[in-house]
Amino acid sequence: MSELLNNDLNSTDLARENAALISPELADTVTLTSIDKAINMLSQIVSPIANLARSNSVWPLTFGTSCCAIEMMCVGMSAFDISRFGSEVFRATPRQADLIITAGTITRKMASALITLYEQLPEPKYVIAMGACTITGGMFNDSYSVVQGVDRIIPVDVYLPGCPPRPEAILDALLKLQQKIRTENYAKRRVQAYQQRPVCYVDYDCGRPLEDLLAMAMEDTSLALDQK
Amino acid sequence: MSTNLETTNLKTDEMIINMGPQHPATHGVLRLILKLDGEIVRHVEPVIGHLHRAQEWQGQNRTLFQYQALIDRVDYLSGMFTSLAFAHACEQIDGCQIPPRAQYLRALVCEMNRISSHLLWLGTFLIDLGALFGFPFYPFREREKLLDLFEEIAGQRMMFNYIRIGGVQRDPKPSWFEKVRKFTAEFPDRIDEYEAIVTQNPIVLKRTKGVGILDKSVAMDYGVTGPSIRGSGINYDLRKTRPYGIYPELNFEIPLGQNQGDTWDRYMCRILEMRQSNNLINQCLDKMPEGEISGKKQIAGLRIKAGEGFSAIESPRGVLGCYVISNGSDKAYRIRWRNPSFCNLAVLPSLLIGRPISDIMAIFGSIDVILPDVDR
Amino acid sequence: MSQTDTNKPNETKEMELGKFGKFLKDNGIDSTRKDDSINVETIVISVKDLEPALRLLKTSSETKLNMLLTISGVDYTDRIDSIYHLWSYDHNDALVIKVELPKQSQANTDTVNLTSIANFWSAANWHERETYDLVGIRYLRHPYLRRILNPWDWEGHPLRRDYKQLVDALNDKNPHSFR
Ligand code: SF4
Repeated sequence: MSELLNNDLNSTDLARENAALISPELADTVTLTSIDKAINMLSQIVSPIANLARSNSVWPLTFGTSCCAIEMMCVGMSAFDISRFGSEVFRATPRQADLIITAGTITRKMASALITLYEQLPEPKYVIAMGACTITGGMFNDSYSVVQGVDRIIPVDVYLPGCPPRPEAILDALLKLQQKIRTENYAKRRVQAYQQRPVCYVDYDCGRPLEDLLAMAMEDTSLALDQK
Repeated sequence: MSTNLETTNLKTDEMIINMGPQHPATHGVLRLILKLDGEIVRHVEPVIGHLHRAQEWQGQNRTLFQYQALIDRVDYLSGMFTSLAFAHACEQIDGCQIPPRAQYLRALVCEMNRISSHLLWLGTFLIDLGALFGFPFYPFREREKLLDLFEEIAGQRMMFNYIRIGGVQRDPKPSWFEKVRKFTAEFPDRIDEYEAIVTQNPIVLKRTKGVGILDKSVAMDYGVTGPSIRGSGINYDLRKTRPYGIYPELNFEIPLGQNQGDTWDRYMCRILEMRQSNNLINQCLDKMPEGEISGKKQIAGLRIKAGEGFSAIESPRGVLGCYVISNGSDKAYRIRWRNPSFCNLAVLPSLLIGRPISDIMAIFGSIDVILPDVDR
Repeated sequence: MSQTDTNKPNETKEMELGKFGKFLKDNGIDSTRKDDSINVETIVISVKDLEPALRLLKTSSETKLNMLLTISGVDYTDRIDSIYHLWSYDHNDALVIKVELPKQSQANTDTVNLTSIANFWSAANWHERETYDLVGIRYLRHPYLRRILNPWDWEGHPLRRDYKQLVDALNDKNPHSFR
């Protein structure tokens, strides 16, 4: 036990930073640090078991915008039967889902809705970018209204190429994701949670990245100030 | 039911509710802004364009040959029809001849595609009505068979790129025709099976009879086409009224709605249409001539003559038209799509107003809108 | 967008009036006939005649062109055409009506105006909104002229020949695209 506790390799950056701040006489009381340590230690034991359970019941969100969504429906039906892998429960609300399969082209108008959906998913959450459209923009790569890949707005775990990918390919991507889940460590994932935010926010009205809009606004104000 | 709601003296406030764009029953990404009075819909504003992929812009920036591969995505459930509309327009501008075997193959694959599209509609319509993931197994079983057949001739399950300007892409093997025959032989039984489950099902009847009545004059004013308007009793099917391809040589009937044009009629029209298509496939197989399959060389620098033309065909959703302006180069100067879903969706607000909120999905499902066809 | 290689289609000579052209002339509306588009009569009418002509063609028992297939806008660099495809639910005739709108000045090309027909023809409503969105013809007296496909505060009209595509963090990956 004590070995594990002292094993600093697994402890988080946060814990390490805090360890210096805590005076020696308080070291054996329950602090945030020790909770972290406990989580670290426990997650080594619990994670494999929990991951096994979790990886076999990944519930996808029914998010489909276009052609790929039809193949996503096919995979739930009798011929391919995704329920063999525990993912037949397509949830209509992000609050109950673990996985977004971004099936279909994401346009600028849709991007903000996708980000909202992604933010509403509870941790741990995963994304499979399905189809050429969501990987790079695909066939509509140079269209004025298409986002060139969802990885520009949300983090992606598995890329699934094809236009549309065959249902077997979706199953393959799901299996890849299950492998990924099985190798995860709860404590590490918990630390990374802040990285699981959308990569880039998109304005709902005009479909442009918020950073750009902010920069424009700043420029405008500084120009106006200069003129004064 | 709605009349009861109308006459009660409960005092209610109006409320604005946003439905979509991520909603399981909107077949993609439609957004409806609803103004509700209690349960009753008072005002609807559909917000579309969440799937606007700039197909028309692509049309004038890619060569005709490249663009042929893109247009299956205009209406992905019936890719054969979009290819056919585009090929028709280009061929008529160009004046090239299509060999008879290609004509028959086109009609054959189109009717097969019509069935597969209606089957998917049947599944999703029943999902919309609440038969979540129970019933849809049945139509999808047959749809998989059709997709396998498509895959054999076109190489893809959904994005066929099979019908090209001047003809078709590949000549199927004789064994393929045998497989199609096997499918058509057993398909009528399958439709009987769906009908046994759905047609007289009291829940379905309750939710569809007398719901979403599409008046003839309203429908004509909005330019509604396809099974939606045939459900209202207007006999308008391009295969009969403006025959194209080899349809004049085939023998079939246009099913019409029997009542006043409610959701139920539109459902029944599509079921009967599937039977007709099955019949048509058999006729095509019987009459299939031998010979060439393409009247134009399929090369990357494919050109058509200068000129402009509009050509329309009857897709599973209605009149699908393509307007091509060509200047004789390998790119079109302008391509414009006339999508049936776009026009049919415009009629949705007039169907929904005054209905309870639970009918929205039944009515919306019954006009069979597909969102990339709306947004392009 | 490289538009140098796409030449404008050739202008066509004028021809004798067809069936619908004569009908319109009998009712006091002038039109000129252009080359047929695949055997369909194509006429050009002036901006002020558009609304009465369409009203007449739609309701008159002689023509009964009561199906508006589509309204398309085409940018021919110096002018913009608004094109109406009319069919009928009752018979097999068809008519294409074009209205030619010269662009007013290079600096201010946005102001291309035309009367809306959405007030008496519901089918036109969404088509006009779409044409406004993509090509930028402003349909006056339209009940709700807002962008329909693009977000409401989108800049520019994408199907104009001189449209410059917005490039930002969402779509700057492919330098060899057609943009
Ligand atoms: S990748 Fe292909 S099939 Fe999938 S949404 Fe894009 S165009 Fe459609």
